[in-house]
Formats: sequence, C-alpha cells, structure tokens
Amino acid sequence: MTVGSQVRTCYASIKSIEATLSILSNQTNELTAREAYKEVESIIKEIKEDLNKQLLLLAREEPQYNQ
Amino acid sequence: MPDWIQITIRAVSLLVILFFFTKWLGMKQLSQLNIFEYITGIVLGGIVAIHVSTLDSPIYFAVISMFIWFIIPYLVEQLSLKSKTFRDFTQGKSRVVIQNGKILEDNLKKEHFNTDDLLESLREKNIFKVADVEFAVLEPNGKLNVLPKRENRPITAKDLGLDIAPDRETQTVIMDGKPLLEPLANISLNPTWLEAELDKMNVSIENVFLGQVDSDGQLTVDLYDDTLAVPSPTQKPLLLATMKKCQADLELFALSTENEQSKQLYKRNSEKLQKAIDQISPYLR
Repeated sequence: MTVGSQVRTCYASIKSIEATLSILSNQTNELTAREAYKEVESIIKEIKEDLNKQLLLLAREEPQYNQ
Repeated sequence: MPDWIQITIRAVSLLVILFFFTKWLGMKQLSQLNIFEYITGIVLGGIVAIHVSTLDSPIYFAVISMFIWFIIPYLVEQLSLKSKTFRDFTQGKSRVVIQNGKILEDNLKKEHFNTDDLLESLREKNIFKVADVEFAVLEPNGKLNVLPKRENRPITAKDLGLDIAPDRETQTVIMDGKPLLEPLANISLNPTWLEAELDKMNVSIENVFLGQVDSDGQLTVDLYDDTLAVPSPTQKPLLLATMKKCQADLELFALSTENEQSKQLYKRNSEKLQKAIDQISPYLR
C-alpha cells in the first residue's frame, strides 16, 4: 500500500469519526455531553481539512491515483 | 336485620373509613413512624376492631372516636409542617452522639441509649471500631447515622480526580413487548426511532421483554427468548478505537515522511487528535 492510499484510509476514518460524533451529539439529551461532542467534532473537522490538503499534495506526487 | 349482615356492613364501612384516614395521614413505612404516629395507628385499628364485633354500641360512636383520633394527629402534622419549634417538640430532634471521634456520654444517657445499643447500631453500618467514626447522629426514629473518618470513607471519583461524564436517568421505553410513549417523549424520541433501532438489532418488538434508553440515546434490550444473542451497543467503543487508530496512523505518517512540511502537518494533527481523545474519552467509557 502506498502512502497515498494509507492517508486516504486515514482520511476516511476521520470522516467516519466526525459523522459518529455528530450522531452522538444529536442523540444525547445531556447538555454538557452534547457540548463536548460538538467541541471534539470541530477539532476533527480541522484535522479533516488539513488531511484533505495533504491528500491533494500527494495526488500530485502520485499521479496514478488520480485516474 | 340479622347480626351477620350488620357485622358485614360495619366491617366494610369502617374498613373504607380506616383506609382513607390512614391515606390522608400520609404514607410512611412502619419503621419510620414516630411514637405518636405509631400509637395513633394502633388506636385507630383498635377502635375498628372493637366496633366491628360489638353490636351493642351504635356505629356512629366508632365514627366519632375514629374522627377524633384522625383529626388531632392530622392537625399536629399540619402545624409541625409550618413551625420548626413545634416540630422539634412533636417529632423530636436528632442528637449528636459522636463528635470529633469522641463519644458524648451525656447525650447517649439523655436518649436512653446504652453502649451496647451504640455498638450494635454502628455494626449495622459495618463499623466495628468506634475509632473509625468521625461523627454520628441519633435520629428521632432511633436510627444512627454515621460519618466515618475521611480515610475510612469509600473512595469516590472526586477523590481520585477522575473526569466522569454526567448522565441522566435511564428511561424504560419497552415493557412486555409494548412501546411506552411517555418515557420516549421525555427523551424527545419517537416510536419510529425505536422501530429503526430494533431493526438495526434485528429483533421484533413483540420479542422484547424490557428495553431501556440511556442518556446517550443507546438502546439496550432484554428478549423473551433467552437463547438469542442481543448485540450490545458498539458505537462508542468503536468510535474511541477508531480515533486511537487514526492518531497512531498520523504519528506513523509523521515518522515515515521525509518532506518537512508534511511531517509538521502530520505531527500537529496527531497531537490535536490526542487532545480530542483525552477530552472525549470520559464520555465514551
């Protein structure tokens, strides 16, 4: 597995984490828990955006993954 | 009118009156009654017992005497709700028997509580050594409440400085195979949600004996058919595991890349993720 596909897998996991956190924050009826989930969700979002940039960079270096 | 009919009528009517009187006097366990309430209960019972079987006395005698024994304790109770001094007089005050680890013999004597009684009450609270006690109060109902010394108290999350996620009470949403709508509404969920969750578990609602939802909206069920395995909620442990895996992955990328800029990016994000894990893990336990 190339680095590109590894980062891609990690990016997918991060997206799944973000989605699960969003489900949990909507499901809970405890206010502090909801806030905690939301806060962590925003951190995950930042990580996701960073990784997305990195993915674009890698795609330029490994052009076969664009096909 | 034959005697047996009279007795039946008296028994039934007095039973009904007694039922309502005791209800209005307030519901308490027998062990929590103070001495006055205890006597009232016995006397009310006695009046009923005598008048049910004594046909010579007219039935309104029973009603009058029961009413008096009802109204006075009732008024006393109402008054003691209002006034603290009156309450202390009628219901008694709690008395400190151990303070700063020292037994107050005078207070024990005032309550007619002897050393054996004290030791017995302490043993009931699983304390076999008087030296372990910081503070103890004898309540008016004869119970002893004990505060052990700091080092003998059970350890709590606060003592350990642990972060614990707050939670609310669990709601029972399915009972005997039927959904309960009111508890569902309490946690702002609807029957459609319940159906979807049950479908995910692949069980039908008729097969569910008991279903509960915790404050995080996770459904746990117990089925009539005990041979079927029910999946336990996996969402939260799975989330924590995925977060940890991603964090490890990012660290690995940071180590393996040679591009300095990418290295910094991976490193920064892995630290961020670690912070997120620390923050959220109390809620995912």
